[in-house]
Amino acid sequence: MDDEVSNSLRRMSSRTRKVAPKMAAALASSDNRTQAALARLEALENDNAGIEAVEAIDDDEASLDDEDQVFMQKKQSKGTKRTTRQAKALEARKAPRTFLELLHEANLELLPPHVPSYWKAAVGPPSSTCRRHFCTVCGFSANYTCVRCGMRFCSYRCQNVHNDTRCLKFVA
Amino acid sequence: MSPHNVVVLDNGGGLIKAGHGGECDPLVVVPNCLYRPPSSKKWLYPNPLNPTTTTTTTTVEPSSVTEVDLTSAAVRRPMDRGYMINPELQREIWAHLFSSILHINPSNSSLLLTEPLFTLPSIQQSMDELVFEDFNFKSLYVADPPSLVHLYEASRRPDGLVSRAQCSLVVDCGFSFTHASPVFQNFTLNYAVKRIDLGGKALTNYLKELVSFRAVNVMEETFIMDDVKENLCFVSLDVPRDLQIARKPGRENLFRCTYVLPDGVTHTKGFVKYPDQVHRYHSLADDAPLAPTETKEDMNNTEMTEKPEDRRRVDLTKNEFDLTNERFLVPEMIFHPADLGMNEAGLAECIVRAVNCCHPQLHPVLYESIILTGGSTLFPQFAKRLEMELRPLVPDDYHVKITPQQDPMLGVWRGGSLLASSPDFKAMCVTKSEYEELGSARCRKRFFH
Repeated sequence: MDDEVSNSLRRMSSRTRKVAPKMAAALASSDNRTQAALARLEALENDNAGIEAVEAIDDDEASLDDEDQVFMQKKQSKGTKRTTRQAKALEARKAPRTFLELLHEANLELLPPHVPSYWKAAVGPPSSTCRRHFCTVCGFSANYTCVRCGMRFCSYRCQNVHNDTRCLKFVA
Repeated sequence: MSPHNVVVLDNGGGLIKAGHGGECDPLVVVPNCLYRPPSSKKWLYPNPLNPTTTTTTTTVEPSSVTEVDLTSAAVRRPMDRGYMINPELQREIWAHLFSSILHINPSNSSLLLTEPLFTLPSIQQSMDELVFEDFNFKSLYVADPPSLVHLYEASRRPDGLVSRAQCSLVVDCGFSFTHASPVFQNFTLNYAVKRIDLGGKALTNYLKELVSFRAVNVMEETFIMDDVKENLCFVSLDVPRDLQIARKPGRENLFRCTYVLPDGVTHTKGFVKYPDQVHRYHSLADDAPLAPTETKEDMNNTEMTEKPEDRRRVDLTKNEFDLTNERFLVPEMIFHPADLGMNEAGLAECIVRAVNCCHPQLHPVLYESIILTGGSTLFPQFAKRLEMELRPLVPDDYHVKITPQQDPMLGVWRGGSLLASSPDFKAMCVTKSEYEELGSARCRKRFFH
């Protein structure tokens, strides 16, 4: 039981460990728009578009025929934790940790301030804060902001396209 | 030890460049990944690219003629954000590389390996384990890419400023990230290095996202979109003007380009439908901000005679899409990451900050010896745009000189090859017995970075 608790704690921490400190701060602000923007930036570093989907298929290859069931099982296993410890250990070994996890583990913040490190090499925010906005639909310069999700569009036509396709995805 | 026993391995996030020390070009350039087409259950090794013509993949070596269909292939990469995070996968890829492509025996060769700046100690350790315990290399030298680029450029022009001043600013815009690193007397000044977290991979993904939203869903097509990016993207010299032009309909639009996706039957590779469209923007390059209408009319006339009217129609039965402003808005992100929502300065400012971290007496020399390397600098007009952005930020009395490398993807490797053939290379290496005695962390101290 004790082990279970510590395990669940560890799961929690591994969840936050996935993001860099600055991002974690932004995430904690629970602002949907910044979250969406960060998720979008994260996605730019993905190798495959649907990396989660690929791995899910790898995991339960036996019950591929019924997708809904797989999904239910996944959900359940998240809640009640039906996987054995050994399976989980195997999975943990199988899944390589991401760079951000390794970065967090390296505890670079503890280094003395004069030592150059990964964090100190980051270029930092731009000197001018003005940002050009491009229409998320067609790419031209965008003068309008969507009141619901904060994305940009340039014209009534693009607004309609935006509302039909992208808008609610990020807010909901 | 002859230099031919040294394997030089530039282990990049996108491409591995490998060959023997002392040679002028790497024997093999191969993507650092495994891929799996939808038709296959197994992960496959990618084919080597032809080293001399990496940008235009024409004829592949006869040994690897099994042309594979890369459509919708899933990719696994051992590198994440430029750093090696998956030693198992890297071992598989290296094992294939050493035994089937390079045909070397690691236990009687030395290895010169490149490693990105600020590699975490845990990653360094797993790299050492890989080199000494899995592959049993005789000895290892770990180099950082900027110093190798500097070494190569200095040796190319013995009378140039780079070699006389022993100092240069290497801007490496690669697959995973972009570094501006001052190098002084063959050492990278690591306290002054600045990094932008944007590279070729992010740009390809960004292009994927744009095209998927606007035209055809290509989210799975990493390899095809790489090809699109390499063939069609360019750096704009005047973004507002080019946006205006990209908005124009029909033939006046100098940027519109049609790309045909592979159909899997007649062709397995995508291609640009009308190759003459690709370079039309060059007519703008030397003009004043407002492009004179005459030249454009000339263009129109020639085209009118050349091609029939319905050329601009997108044929929906074929899988093809048009690119207009995407062609220059994608590379634009390196110069203005803020547009993407990243809280990071652009490349010009990155360079200025890197220089400002150095000793003031180095500033004029550094600005005059900027070396561009890395695959993402291959976008047309990259150097020109960088100079345009950099000039206003640099004090008036300093010269700004930007030198693009000849083969920016191979520059690091060539420097490594040079270093491997230098007489004191052997003394710089860490041998296997030293590693076994001292362990990874102590051995690493020898490489000074």
